[in-house]
Amino acid sequence: MFRFFLTAAALVAPLSAAAAETVRFIACPIYRDTDSGKKSGCWLSDDPATGLRYDVSLSPHKPDWNYAVMVEGIVSAAPSTPCGGTVLDAVRTSRLYDTPCTRHMLPAEGFPGRRFVLPKRNITPSSVARPVPPGPYAERVFPVYFEFGNDFLVYQYSDYLIEQASNWINAAHPKKLIVTGFAATQPEVISGRSMAEPADLAALRAETIAETLRRLMPGMAIETAADTSGSETADKDADRLPSQSRRRVEIRALF
Amino acid sequence: MRKISLMVAGVAAAAVFGQLGAAAPERWWAPGEGRVFPASLDYANDQGTLRVLVDGGPVATKGHPFFEPLGANGRACVTCHQPSDAMSLSAASARDRWDKTRGKDPLFAAIDGANCPSLPQDKRESHSLLIERGLFRIQLPWPVRQWNGRPVTPDFTIEVMRDPNGCNSGPNYGPDAGNISVYRRARPVANMKYLLAVGFPFDPKQGFALPRDPDDGSMMSGNIMGDNRAGNLRIQMEDAAHGHLQFARGLNAKQIAQIRDFEMRVYTAQQVSKQAGALDSMGAEGGPMKLKNSQPGALGSIGIPVWSEFAKWEKISPEDAKVLTPEQLAFRQSVARGARVFRDKMFLITDTAGINSRIGFGNPVRNSCVFCHNMSQMGNDVAPGQVDLGTTTMPFADPWRDLPLFRITCLKTPHPHYGRVIYTMDPGFAMTTGRCADVGKITLQSMRGLAARAPYFSNGLAKDLRGIVDYYDRRYNIGYTEQEKQDLTNMMSAL
Repeated sequence: MFRFFLTAAALVAPLSAAAAETVRFIACPIYRDTDSGKKSGCWLSDDPATGLRYDVSLSPHKPDWNYAVMVEGIVSAAPSTPCGGTVLDAVRTSRLYDTPCTRHMLPAEGFPGRRFVLPKRNITPSSVARPVPPGPYAERVFPVYFEFGNDFLVYQYSDYLIEQASNWINAAHPKKLIVTGFAATQPEVISGRSMAEPADLAALRAETIAETLRRLMPGMAIETAADTSGSETADKDADRLPSQSRRRVEIRALF
Repeated sequence: MRKISLMVAGVAAAAVFGQLGAAAPERWWAPGEGRVFPASLDYANDQGTLRVLVDGGPVATKGHPFFEPLGANGRACVTCHQPSDAMSLSAASARDRWDKTRGKDPLFAAIDGANCPSLPQDKRESHSLLIERGLFRIQLPWPVRQWNGRPVTPDFTIEVMRDPNGCNSGPNYGPDAGNISVYRRARPVANMKYLLAVGFPFDPKQGFALPRDPDDGSMMSGNIMGDNRAGNLRIQMEDAAHGHLQFARGLNAKQIAQIRDFEMRVYTAQQVSKQAGALDSMGAEGGPMKLKNSQPGALGSIGIPVWSEFAKWEKISPEDAKVLTPEQLAFRQSVARGARVFRDKMFLITDTAGINSRIGFGNPVRNSCVFCHNMSQMGNDVAPGQVDLGTTTMPFADPWRDLPLFRITCLKTPHPHYGRVIYTMDPGFAMTTGRCADVGKITLQSMRGLAARAPYFSNGLAKDLRGIVDYYDRRYNIGYTEQEKQDLTNMMSAL
């Protein structure tokens, strides 16, 4: 049932992010050394096509100043006062380890940065009892998302989504799980570069998540599959970013 | 009146200077000597007094596998995990042992208590790494094998660039002979419930859920060994029995249970500071009792702040100050400031695998010491603590000429911070995972009982507590003031 819902949603609402302006580009990141406590430094990046400077600090995976980033984000109306750039929210900054950058750090120049707040997608300590997720317990799909080009779990994002899934699965007792990895293999030109994920990344992502599920739920029957179509979904946890939705794993619980 | 005053003064002095336990026994615990391990033991060190507590009361060591020589070389577990050294082994103790026994103590067994077994064993210089820096030789299989013996195909090659001790070349040693020798400090076997605690179900540094214990199915903390090659105590014991005790037969289930029981009951921490007095006085909560009575695995940032044990010393009342000497008062205030500096002094953490990659904190990321040293009461990492501080890897490490140097070449993706070719004296966690991204990562360890077990870091890079602060200061260009350095040093001396 849920499978049908997800598929139908993807067809009728291909995640256009409505009227929101989205940007995608590749550039070197700039670190602005603001100081409002821990993790308060700013990340900026300039779109080479427009020359506009964006504040990309809200990405769940931050840049490495030694490498270019692929920026994908939604232009926000939030003021640029924290960091000195147009705020992208939601935003992803995928680190491109094959593209070195000269590291560049700006002084704070009066910008305060952002005081760290715990992301909404965070895992509570193991010592805290998890509430039993409500039913109905029927076929259901749980997506998990990745940075461009890799299968590494994104801290306080994909781990949270997996834990939500495993809590539900532990309560629902499905017969088995089908873990399908997706990769965005269709080339797209971004800032003059043809960008596509390798086809074998789909299987790698599936195996990464399957291994984590085996550890979380020993004894659970798990099968893996790969899909290189790069299909999009309208799932809310992709944060209205179509490109994010293409880089995923789906955990399908079957009864 | 005068008698009462004296009595009051006596009580106050006991509170300030610290009530020591029973008279300390002979410092060195030799294998098989059969002493009873009391419930509380105190040992003097340069900074004051270390206390060792055994939860549940005394332990008869006669016949106990932690204390009996099990293998061919006459060593026991206790040989390298001495109570006076916070259940680790200081270089000073190794030196003392050499001098007292002229090198005949089983501590200097050729297998790992010498720079290499091929060297003349009666010469002091053949044991210089142990005597001068407290380093044992750790021989690891190459290519990498998992804890269960399964081979791992590494994504890197390893070449020996420098072999000052002869244990990484020749017919029996080195990659061509199927092994790599690195040199590491003994980690403390105490406060174990903290090292085994699991705070969260994921390892964010590796990007997986935590692996399961093959024996009982529980999640493993990943915080026992420097390279995380043993996920539970049983595996660690078997590794040590084979690699350090030369116990060919292997431990039986009863012996494993006895050792585990003892290790889970031992707590160590500095109890008295020479400069400050009792570390559990005037509201402070130093010493091992607090460790014994606290729940392990809590993240300081969302619970009890790390080193808040000394928070009460931030504001010592004028009335309390009257019973302290000016030096004691100043030292206590320094310890309290050091705890604050540890938590609050922000700096840019850069090019550090396990923090700046692959996990998405960013490179650089602004944070303080407690970013990684985040477990309440212990200062180890709640998550598996494999982080590359650069202590063993160039260009960050000091160029120790008496340690081997390896050239690692990454065959697939280059290391995000070092590039394709890495020069290291100890690949660390990479010798467990076979991944070049893990080169130089060493598991964070407990910070308790530091005063009893110099030198520090896995390769003894810091000869004293100040050396730790100085290393971080230059590694991360922190810019500590002299006062901050002294406060941090004093605080660590009180742990």
